[in-house]
Amino acid sequence: MSERKVFIAGAGIISPVGKGLAETAASLRAGSRPFAPLRLFPSPSLNPLPTGEVVAHFESPDFLPRTFSLAAEAAEQALAAFDGPPDAVLLGITTGGIASTEVALKNNIEDPAAYRYHGAGEVAEFLACKLGCPGPVLTVSTACSSGAAAIKIAADMIRLGMIDSALAGGADCLCRLTYYGFNSLQLIDPKGARPLDASRAGMTVAEAAGMVLLIGSENPPPGAIAQIAGGGLSCDAYHATAPHPEGEGALGAMRGALAEAGVEPGRVDYINLHGTGTIDNDSAEVKAVVKLFGEVPPAFSSIKGMTGHSLAAAGGVEAVVSAICIAENFAPANIGCEVPDPELPAAPILQTKEAPINLVLSNSFGFGGNNASLAIAAPDFTSVGEQTTGRSCLNIKRSALIGGAGGPEACLARLLAGGSIAGETPMAELEKALDPKLIRRLKKTPRMTLLLAQSVVESESVDSIYYGTGWGPLGETYSFIDRLFRTDEKLSSPTDFVGSVHNSPAGQTAMRYHATGANITTTGGDYSFEQAILSATVLGRSGEQMLLIGVDEHHPKLSPLFDGSFDPEAGGSDGGAAMLVEASATRRSPGFNFIFSGSALDPALAIERLAAAIKKENIETPAALLVGIPRAVDQMARRQLEMLCELFDPAPPLIEYRKLTGEHASAAAQAAALAIELKKNKIIPAELSGGEEIAIDNAPLLIIGLGTRITAIEVY
Amino acid sequence: MSQLLQEIKEKVVETLELPDVDASQIGDDDPIVGGSLSIDSIDVLELVIMIEEDYEVKILSKEQGEEVFRSFRSLAEFVEANLPK
Repeated sequence: MSERKVFIAGAGIISPVGKGLAETAASLRAGSRPFAPLRLFPSPSLNPLPTGEVVAHFESPDFLPRTFSLAAEAAEQALAAFDGPPDAVLLGITTGGIASTEVALKNNIEDPAAYRYHGAGEVAEFLACKLGCPGPVLTVSTACSSGAAAIKIAADMIRLGMIDSALAGGADCLCRLTYYGFNSLQLIDPKGARPLDASRAGMTVAEAAGMVLLIGSENPPPGAIAQIAGGGLSCDAYHATAPHPEGEGALGAMRGALAEAGVEPGRVDYINLHGTGTIDNDSAEVKAVVKLFGEVPPAFSSIKGMTGHSLAAAGGVEAVVSAICIAENFAPANIGCEVPDPELPAAPILQTKEAPINLVLSNSFGFGGNNASLAIAAPDFTSVGEQTTGRSCLNIKRSALIGGAGGPEACLARLLAGGSIAGETPMAELEKALDPKLIRRLKKTPRMTLLLAQSVVESESVDSIYYGTGWGPLGETYSFIDRLFRTDEKLSSPTDFVGSVHNSPAGQTAMRYHATGANITTTGGDYSFEQAILSATVLGRSGEQMLLIGVDEHHPKLSPLFDGSFDPEAGGSDGGAAMLVEASATRRSPGFNFIFSGSALDPALAIERLAAAIKKENIETPAALLVGIPRAVDQMARRQLEMLCELFDPAPPLIEYRKLTGEHASAAAQAAALAIELKKNKIIPAELSGGEEIAIDNAPLLIIGLGTRITAIEVY
Repeated sequence: MSQLLQEIKEKVVETLELPDVDASQIGDDDPIVGGSLSIDSIDVLELVIMIEEDYEVKILSKEQGEEVFRSFRSLAEFVEANLPK
């Protein structure tokens, strides 16, 4: 395989320190610290705390939640010199449409139209649509590491030859959920973030968007300002909020990035810390830096004393800043730190350092101990990097699903009999099977997740977790928002805040199984599980033991507002599935092969591209198609289905799986579990084929998602 | 005071959803943090919110929290001493 590098050929940024590369560079050099007491929305009960607000002008139409507008601004900048849409859009997002949602909920708006843009996955879809991007869209929602993780996955997809270009990065806006949430954890410094300072007392919540245009090439394309030389992902598997005190996970991520870049630590010119200003993060992170780089590490600093902490945007922002440092040959000072903490084993640079910068290591560490580190290098940087070995096959050892019919055995039996498992997963099923001490603070989504994991892991070790969810933990989200508004924004629950973060269930699972490898949560409405499969395919390394999970919960108040497929007459459905997977260079049935994800904006084009992708995999006659037709987009999806069926002659048996699973965002995961069982048994029962029992032999099954996006997963 | 102590024990168990814990069996001087109840830092913050919501008593810093949550008795004494008039 030729040495394909991943270049940053465009970059866009908007943050509290300004808009665009030039303004950002000038602000960083000047040591600007633009924190101001909260003013973006009123704080009726508490004294406003310092925040990092974007004050630069950007287009922000009323109908669009703020995060979308920030993302669009950065995307436009990144793509300014690029002709045509990127092949894919991969973003890190935690807030999504929450800034608008929380206001609508406060005002008791019951019209689902007001929540149209709520989903965290909608930002990337919105950009893809705006840009005319025909290919895959993926949203990582792993709190503060999201943006960096999205860039890492995009870079890997390019290296693997799956795509040639991608828009990648992160965006998040200031909103009540995160502002009050971090406040409830007592993690906000009333004096503004002072990273690494001896008397530091926390972070400053901020908003921003940072995006890069990545292009795969052997040589720097025109406009290239840097390259993504490598990336590392890890999970502390230690605590829901506190990092591992010795920085073990941070160390793993940094090591991984340098290994992938094929460099020794000594070649790093500047380390851009995560450096939020919290006592725990800064302490653990600097310990990890010294462990890796020695007692005299390269120049390092946190810029969060200037930009604040923009959560999922931070990884994107800091990748752009790293590229700026390389282009302009400087490392920014650790503004906000007056007296470096003497307890830390090394001190940051307190003045801007003007020097050639060819290699930057940029850290982004999130809740749940979720760590990402990117090695960003000059365009002409060379090394003998770790060769990408190729896409992994995802061989499935064990699989289970839960749903309205109850636990794994009951649900599988019902489905194989052609029956429906629609309805809400009974809470009693979750309580009876899980240790009460383990689940005492957990509501429905994390309970379902842990039960599923428990159903497929016996004595094996688990390295990594890939988790897809359309809406995240709705119970915790609702409970947090409800209490906040009931107390006139005075009180909010730290447990609910931490639990409401999309990746919290995956974090709980990592702790249970001490899974210290990659920990990725993807979100994309009805296509979330397919995104999880894509990320596992891209990131997985041979021999890696993974948990692949898809879960969504029905919430009586929120689901009718958020999920357009909810049918009040049928009632809510929820549940999901998990698979214990071994990544491998070779196939062993049953297993998943990610085939396709494309925008359905031009359905004929999408089906044409799907057909090409299926042909490329040498699939001529699948044994059956398990097709997801969300109720909300039924008409659109059925037109796509007609075109899809014309691709095969004879037409294979069709299983419209949402008629069996019920309407919810993780129905695809349940369908996948069914498909695995069919493949193992090598039979499609008459009750499912709609006619006679069908022998499968070696033919694959295809799981097809239709609607606003078209996706295809092969079950081999 | 003993009524407040009993009430606080019940509220701690209820707020933190501690399984299999009988509030009436908790000793007055039993530790809240670091004892057999396996209460961690997030639980402590949750209790801070509960104390403010139910008694209108604020715990303002981590250091103050460490003192106050030493035992059920120290928590009850703190609440009683700081109840709004």
